[in-house]
Amino acid sequence: MKGFLLSLICLGLAGPVLAEPSSEEPSSKVAWTLETLNFVKKGNAENGKILTESGKILTAKSCADCHNETSSNPQLDGQLPTYLYKQLVDYKNGNRKDPAATMNDWASKLSEQNMADLAAYYGKQAAKPGKGGASDPTGIVSVGDGKRMEPACSSCHGGSGQGEKVDTPRLAGQKAVYLENTLLDYREGKRANDIYSRMRLIASKLSDLEIEQLAKYYSTLD
Amino acid sequence: MNPNSWISKTRSELGLILQDMQIEHLEKNWIYLATAMIGFMVVILSIGAVFLHLNPPSHWETIDSASLHLGGEFAEDKLGVQPSKPSDVIIQVKLVAARYGFFPREIVVPADKKIQFRMASLDVLHGAHIPMTNMSTMIVPGHISEVTTVFPKPGEYPLLCNEYCGMGHDHMWSKVTVLSQNDWDARKNEGKQP
Repeated sequence: MKGFLLSLICLGLAGPVLAEPSSEEPSSKVAWTLETLNFVKKGNAENGKILTESGKILTAKSCADCHNETSSNPQLDGQLPTYLYKQLVDYKNGNRKDPAATMNDWASKLSEQNMADLAAYYGKQAAKPGKGGASDPTGIVSVGDGKRMEPACSSCHGGSGQGEKVDTPRLAGQKAVYLENTLLDYREGKRANDIYSRMRLIASKLSDLEIEQLAKYYSTLD
Repeated sequence: MNPNSWISKTRSELGLILQDMQIEHLEKNWIYLATAMIGFMVVILSIGAVFLHLNPPSHWETIDSASLHLGGEFAEDKLGVQPSKPSDVIIQVKLVAARYGFFPREIVVPADKKIQFRMASLDVLHGAHIPMTNMSTMIVPGHISEVTTVFPKPGEYPLLCNEYCGMGHDHMWSKVTVLSQNDWDARKNEGKQP
């Protein structure tokens, strides 16, 4: 009887939602509920390490074949697990699009558990610091720009670019070319997996020069 | 102090030295007055809460803050000033407060018309305040905040967060433009506002 009542209530709740006209897809299907946070936290780094190796997911490639010092692909070591997990899910669902589609193909072969394990593995690696001597001529890193309603980068990404626990990536020591491309993609809307367009709105107010300077700042930050 | 009073007995049972507490006459009067005032206010609040249902407005409707963007009334494409007909008495505005801004960042509303704000937080406790107006409320995660107001004066106003929400709290503001009825009608006719 209880179950019957419950299902009736559920139907009642689902009814109006189902009846609503289909709206646009959300920019990301990841929601940081307590369950998701705990799931990512419990990712197994050991399994993650095995998955990064050649032949495990892609037949003849390992993660490090592309994510290395010489390429323009992002540095993954020391990145926040919540951020990595969300990117993988977004790649799988097509909310984030890799122009070469490599990451989308690759992520489509992963299970949710695989993603949490990979995120845990890279999260545990020591981050590679920048070479130091970073200076920010734009002033946006620490104070932002009130006239443009531009918040300071550091208010979310941390005073030393270390990122923030839930889904705010580490920037310090990241490759300048990757950071620059990412900001440009956000500005042009090519990358659109930020919930409520938060980074798109921020990037849309930046000039080419500022983007270059900010990318340089964070890549040299140690 | 009366040695037979309950307080004297308790003190002697606890082994506390019996001291005569000196309370001035005037002091006593103030204690009675303050206690009576507190009692009076508690009674008023209780009557209000139980019989008149005067409760904080933000605690009626609950919502899962973490998954606001996945669907429902705070989905990404449903935010902002909602479509309205000229005959509508109330214009509804839906906003999401998230570190560090109100989304959408800029809204345009008419003056002299009832504006109903429906707001939810994506992360932590925020506040929503438009200076020089009476629009001010808390946005508690897990709850929908609803407040209805009328802006009598056209102009540009900031919408500020007035609950400390993190390092970028002082950057958390958005722009509200209040248009005169004529400008609003023109904006509707130009198709800029459904």
